[in-house]
Amino acid sequence: MYSYIARRLAFGALTVIGVSIMVFVVMRILPGDPLVAIFGPEGFTKLSDKERAGYMAALGLSDPLWVQYLAWVKDILRGDFGHSFFRSESVADMILRRGPLTAEIALISVVLSWLVGIPVALVSALRPNTITDSLVRFVSILFLAVPGFWVGMLIVLALLFWFGYRAPMAGVSLFADPLANLQLVIGPAIVLGLGQAAYIARMGRSSLLEVIREDYVRTARAKGLNSRLVIAMHALPNALLPVITLSGVLLGLVLAGSIPVERAFGTPGLGFAMFTAVSERDVFVMQNLVFLYAVVFVLLNIVVDVTIALLDPRIRYR
Amino acid sequence: MTAIFPAQPALPTAASRARSVLRGVGRFFRRAPFSAFWGCIAAAIVIMAVAAPVIAPYEPLKSDFRSMQKPPDEKHWFGTDQIGRDTLSRVIYGSRASLTVAFGAVLFGTTVGALWGLACGYFGGRFDMISQRLIEFLQSFPDLILAMAIAMALGGGLGTVIVAIAITRIPFGGRVIRSVVLSLKEIQYVEAARGLGASHKRLMFRHILPQCVAPYLILATTHLGVAIVIEASLGFLGVGIPPPSPTWGNMLSDALNAGLVPPWWLVLFPGVAITITVLAFNLLGDGIRDVLDPRLRGSV
Repeated sequence: MYSYIARRLAFGALTVIGVSIMVFVVMRILPGDPLVAIFGPEGFTKLSDKERAGYMAALGLSDPLWVQYLAWVKDILRGDFGHSFFRSESVADMILRRGPLTAEIALISVVLSWLVGIPVALVSALRPNTITDSLVRFVSILFLAVPGFWVGMLIVLALLFWFGYRAPMAGVSLFADPLANLQLVIGPAIVLGLGQAAYIARMGRSSLLEVIREDYVRTARAKGLNSRLVIAMHALPNALLPVITLSGVLLGLVLAGSIPVERAFGTPGLGFAMFTAVSERDVFVMQNLVFLYAVVFVLLNIVVDVTIALLDPRIRYR
Repeated sequence: MTAIFPAQPALPTAASRARSVLRGVGRFFRRAPFSAFWGCIAAAIVIMAVAAPVIAPYEPLKSDFRSMQKPPDEKHWFGTDQIGRDTLSRVIYGSRASLTVAFGAVLFGTTVGALWGLACGYFGGRFDMISQRLIEFLQSFPDLILAMAIAMALGGGLGTVIVAIAITRIPFGGRVIRSVVLSLKEIQYVEAARGLGASHKRLMFRHILPQCVAPYLILATTHLGVAIVIEASLGFLGVGIPPPSPTWGNMLSDALNAGLVPPWWLVLFPGVAITITVLAFNLLGDGIRDVLDPRLRGSV
């Protein structure tokens, strides 16, 4: 088991290195000139050649690319994520301040997606091809099609229109003021959670239908076990394995999805910071945030793989 | 499915081909009527996009300063925005951007991915190993984040948005087609062709590629919906096709910038357009999958 985890971590490290090179290639080497990104096409043409060279040197952009890459990696290893062009706060401080909010949103939404998705999958799979089942399937397909950020905008509008209510704009930590904090995160968490619940309901349904047909379930029924117990003790645990894997993939969807959703709600989380960075063309902040998100995504996938290996004795730890 | 050993390989004429396409469509309607219905809606949306100048009641970019930010009435069915542009016309024109990006990105991304997957599965070995690592790196980014980074680095525009979304589609095509090719490679008719001394090129493109068409079609249609949502999200985040181009994402972004309380009609209609379009393509994709590959019926 330990060797499996070690091997998985080693592969993860390789992936992180590959990802860092990829982020660097995308942000620095692709044809877009960083100065155009910073000053805009008009501002860029107004700069003289000398000014351009000066800015490039000041930003460390006139060094050879591999020197730039190594400098960036060294900064990250020291925990220095650089500064925004537009704000005084360092990116590391921003991540520490805003990150917890987005993490809370992600966690609550995952819990919510299981609380909603699994019962729906059960109802759907135990009575396949009934009206309830068809309705559930259509609603989940509908939820896959609705963009989360739009639902978020509608919720904000509806709350304003009918209750004159608007969530607070300032970031509050969970420990300082739990109630205000909850108001911030609950909206995005519900929207993202329901989106995932649709996937989980679909996956849970098909995986349950498959498991129910297996011999060992028939054996359990044949020996006279209560049918509820058969589902709860025998079918469900096995049916949940693919759902756990899916949930890990969906977490990546939540991390990305929280960017537009946080914008829709005006939540001051990391996703909103990403939106700000992208709309200000803040290349360095963007580079570090994209890398951070990718690393978190890779780590989550490792955690999911190891969890599955722990839960499923059919997987050999080779 | 095509017969593997046609007794007399009759060359298809234009008429027989048209007839077989029609038969295929007829079969689709019988086997998956619900999906076929949504397929018609998808077709209607495509027609709406092509015929936008004829259908739209106003110019999408023209401001009418006498009616700014007006709720829906009989002159402007979907109301007008802050600078007096007709929302209905902008929603209709928005379908153009959305569909161009979706079709362009999926066609480009899935095709590149599929050809890559074909090469990986066929040649295997070190090339395959390195390719799989590269694909893994690409898949280590959530789709939207990778698309955002690429779109931002390349600067806004129709072409860059297509490229950005296409790159996020490559791993899916690569993975799926590779696994199909791996299983096809060992099938007897391929082995027979190899035994007869067929070249790599002939084996890949004459014998293996045609069998990849069904999975490719299934993959492409299911990814159209994803591409539309990513395009809208990019527009909403300000890295899509730059304003004033009417895209659904841009319209939602504009609505949010309109003030503390965005007017409801500016929020409602573009989102409904996105939802219906994505729903139509997803359900059409489900139907195509069910008809082309009955083994997958009902799975995710």
